[in-house]
Amino acid sequence: MDEKTTEIYKACLKETEIKYGYGDGFFKPRLAGINHLEVGHSKIISNPVTILLEAIFSFYKNLRRRVQKLNALLFPRRHHIYAKVKDSYVTGRLMHLDRAEMNVPIHNAEVELWARTKFTFQWKKLGVTVSDNEGNFEIRYTLREARNFFIRSIQLEIYQPTDVKYNGDRPSTTYRVYHCEKINKSDLIGLGYSVNTIALPLWEYRTDIDLPRAYFPENLRFTPEVYVQGREDALIQQLIPIELTKQKHLFQIKKEPGMLTLEDIQKDYPENLTLAMEKKLPGYTRGDEWFGFRMMNGMNKASFMPDKDKKGIYHVKFFGAGDYEHNNEYAFPDTDIEFEIHKDKTPLPVAITFTGPLNALNKDPFQTRTFTRNDGEDWLAAKRLARVCGAVCAEVDEHYTGTHVNTEQFAIAAFRNFRKNPVTWILFPHLKEVSLINAGADKTIIGGYLPTATALTTKGLVNRCRDILGVHNWKGWQPMEVINETHTYAKAENLFWNLLGDFMDFFFEKYEKDIKTFWNEVYFFSEDLVNHSVPVFLSELHVEKMNASKKERYERLKEYTHFQFGYHPEHSAEIVHGKSVAMSSITKSKTFTRDEDFNNLKDACRYAIMMATFSHTWINEHQYDDLGEILYSCGGLRFGEKESGVIGPESDPHIAPDLTRSTQMLWFTNFLSRTEYGFITRNEENDIHPYFIELLLKHKDEFMELGVDIESIESRTNI
Amino acid sequence: MLWFGAVIDKLVLWWYARLFSFLIAVFLSFPKRQRMSHNNGIGGEGWLKITEEPEFPEHDFFEKGAVFPVRIRHASATFLDDAMNCIRSISIKFAHNRYKSPFDLEMNTGETSLFWSAASFMQFAKKRNEKWGVEYVEYNRHYPEGLEGAKKAVRRHATSFYNLHYYAKTPFLFMGKDKIKRYAKYRIIPLEDVKESGLEYNISDWDMSNQRVLPHEKRGRNFLKYEYEDRIKRHGASYRLQIQVRTASDDEDPEIFNNMVPWNEQIYPWMELATFHIDKVLDWKESTLSVFSLNNMPKSLGVLPAKSIFDYNSLNYMRKHSELARKARILSLKIFGMVPPIPDNDNRNYSEWGA
Ligand code: HEM
Ligand SMILES: [Fe+2]
Repeated sequence: MDEKTTEIYKACLKETEIKYGYGDGFFKPRLAGINHLEVGHSKIISNPVTILLEAIFSFYKNLRRRVQKLNALLFPRRHHIYAKVKDSYVTGRLMHLDRAEMNVPIHNAEVELWARTKFTFQWKKLGVTVSDNEGNFEIRYTLREARNFFIRSIQLEIYQPTDVKYNGDRPSTTYRVYHCEKINKSDLIGLGYSVNTIALPLWEYRTDIDLPRAYFPENLRFTPEVYVQGREDALIQQLIPIELTKQKHLFQIKKEPGMLTLEDIQKDYPENLTLAMEKKLPGYTRGDEWFGFRMMNGMNKASFMPDKDKKGIYHVKFFGAGDYEHNNEYAFPDTDIEFEIHKDKTPLPVAITFTGPLNALNKDPFQTRTFTRNDGEDWLAAKRLARVCGAVCAEVDEHYTGTHVNTEQFAIAAFRNFRKNPVTWILFPHLKEVSLINAGADKTIIGGYLPTATALTTKGLVNRCRDILGVHNWKGWQPMEVINETHTYAKAENLFWNLLGDFMDFFFEKYEKDIKTFWNEVYFFSEDLVNHSVPVFLSELHVEKMNASKKERYERLKEYTHFQFGYHPEHSAEIVHGKSVAMSSITKSKTFTRDEDFNNLKDACRYAIMMATFSHTWINEHQYDDLGEILYSCGGLRFGEKESGVIGPESDPHIAPDLTRSTQMLWFTNFLSRTEYGFITRNEENDIHPYFIELLLKHKDEFMELGVDIESIESRTNI
Repeated sequence: MLWFGAVIDKLVLWWYARLFSFLIAVFLSFPKRQRMSHNNGIGGEGWLKITEEPEFPEHDFFEKGAVFPVRIRHASATFLDDAMNCIRSISIKFAHNRYKSPFDLEMNTGETSLFWSAASFMQFAKKRNEKWGVEYVEYNRHYPEGLEGAKKAVRRHATSFYNLHYYAKTPFLFMGKDKIKRYAKYRIIPLEDVKESGLEYNISDWDMSNQRVLPHEKRGRNFLKYEYEDRIKRHGASYRLQIQVRTASDDEDPEIFNNMVPWNEQIYPWMELATFHIDKVLDWKESTLSVFSLNNMPKSLGVLPAKSIFDYNSLNYMRKHSELARKARILSLKIFGMVPPIPDNDNRNYSEWGA
């Protein structure tokens, strides 16, 4: 890109970066909460009576918060235990309450025995302990203290870490009562009292799907986690205007579809990057340079694989519907884009080869067609189709699988197992809320929007996700190699990765002792990661039984996918239920024994945080840039009925998405791109280590030059 | 303030003991003509001789070589069916009498007990909830020591009352001729060196609460009592009464009074106290009218004082104060007549008369 174009580009970026300033006025319509989001009509409250009731409810919530504060003041929890001779004990066993079995102990959980006095209602701590690796616990206490006349009630409390807070650079974990068991005072008669097995639904794995996903019971009382209030408020605020727009469109489509056009829909949503560029440089966004630039540094951040023979030639590949269950509405062929890259120049596309159907007539999955720069109108159409296939791959493989689900597998394993180990302080803040947003995405995206707007069905999407997750492993992962001066994405990724590495070194050195002390948590974390890991990519296929074209396709697929996700199959050494799984083990010992394991833990944490922060934010933030103009790119081009199929002009509305899909797409990409909540440097919840923030801010300008506003990198995957 | 607390503690204990024996007397012993627990038993009589070479400190009551008449009673607690999973017992008095005697002891199988203080005994009684031979479900769930004690005390497959080991479990006072304060524990084992029958080894595997006869049980409801009767008729039965003794000290750990914890036999070995031979069994009526009591003991061998319902010694305090229940049973038998013997019929798993 020349200087002038770069100027314009930067200006457009700034212009299209919309921040919502929507006030929280009293009688303004409100949204009923994130859990009520729908692709169709999200629940918007406009009835004044309901709004009034809402207001009363929020007043009550405030009041309750105040009462709780007063409560804590009047009835403090004093943690000192005065008793000297502890002659009796309360014992039991903590287990995970899986839906099917009760076989996994909860280790290192803090268990406390508390009493409350008669008349004055003061709290008195009788004893405390921590469950062992088998989930067993034994709290020693003094019988006469518990059976004292002035004691009114006794309860056993089981604590679970919920939040991390920093006081300066001193981290601490907030523990909340996860379960409370009342004990009859008169049942305490000395020696042992057993509460037997207490089975708690605590971050259970889903069993209805072959993916490491958290089980969210219908009964919300047991939801593993909830969004923090600020996060919920921010989203609701930002969503309202576009939600209203979408609803208006859906209403019009229902009543008089003929009156609404794609242009109308486009105009109703905020202008995005490509539209802004088009205004200033007509035709530029459909040109070769922009194409190469966005492939390299846009939402796709594609992986440029050097050609085996020709120097300076690279390939970007998007794998299409293939054998995954799909519909016959949208084209999703395999796409191979050949680029030429000159020294320190933007990549330029030379040829694009599609394998698979491009129209509704010929359904042969192995038909190929190649387009080159000399193909005129068809070349434009080929680039459009390539953008669309790239967008679907970026969303499904990179965004959903690579960051959302990938992070969730670390999140579940971490929340199930870390309680005392200092890595809690660096993992929890980055791993929270991802399971929650994924559960939401199941409904609205994987089971809602995508199957109607792309070639893949829900089943196809889930299977693809399971396959692609099979090339995600913490071990051996490295950021993308920088190809040349213009490769700003890779530079930013490397910079972030290195800074994260510095932070990890700092943290692991500082807390080395405790990390090793509470090593059993690392062991169980590693076990959960490995035992719930998906099989290695394509390892379940019987390639030897395939015909030549299929076999050849899978070989290409494997080679490119390994390259794309920085996956090294030699590291996947674990076998679970007879299957070789993707995740590497961190440690095989419940006590710390090998220095190598310490580094493994460091690497695994670094990887998980990288995915949850930088990797996710990148794609998420750029969705509206690259998927905010219906005719530029979308989830799928329709075959239509013509012989030319998807290789047609932008002016043909029959191959573009329909009206409903269009408004839904803009609704999605818009609100997904702009969550104004949960940034590393802004540290809204005071749960990020100040040194990490300091490191990033120190390189603010450097990041800025690479097109990354470091202050907009999210601390977690929550949208 | 301290003495006030101590007085309250003592008052509560006194109240517990009175209340309990009153409840047993009024709701069980009198109306149902029952013992609290060991209704299913058989008595016997014979002679006892204190050992000629005592290893324990000299005591006025246990003069070496002294001979006493003895009455014993073997029983199964608490069901009226010998084939059920029961605790077995022996009670002994140094007299050929129904009640009066200078020295009585009551012992059960198992080295440890199922409860350890007045408070825990009350809980044990409250949580019995027996139905069709299943009992103590809640108690066993919540009290690990109680459950373990029960598992080690029951002798489902006992082949005879004779070949079991019986423990008095709680320690008693032992004030010898030297007036040094000591504590004593007692047990009775067969004279011959025979293997104890009915022991179960994989006790963690069973549901202790289910004490019902096994599904294909072949042994009769009264087989143990018949076996004992025949054994006595044939050649009688000889037993050893043994004693463990330890010296009191000011800084002793209250745990030494805990009947859930046996005294270390290496430090406090079992010593021979006496041997006795039973040569006659008592009929159902005489067996039923026999009463054993901790109040039948010389002062120098009596019950240790207890301070509160949580004090381990409160267990014996409760027993000492349960005379009302014993008297109510005997009175009721006098007024309403003898209870029927346990039939041999197939109506199993009962713990009450008349079935
Ligand atoms: C470890 C402690 C105990 C042992 C070894 C024990 C043993 C026995 C035995 C063997 C009998 C049957 C006596 C017979 O054959 O007639 C018996 C009966 C009885 N026990 Fe216990 N016992 C213990 C604790 C208690 C306690 C704490 C109480 C509470 C008051 C108690 C109250 C009674 C009563 C009321 C009877 C029935 C007496 C009768 O009606 O003749 N026992 N016990
Ligand atoms: Fe996202």
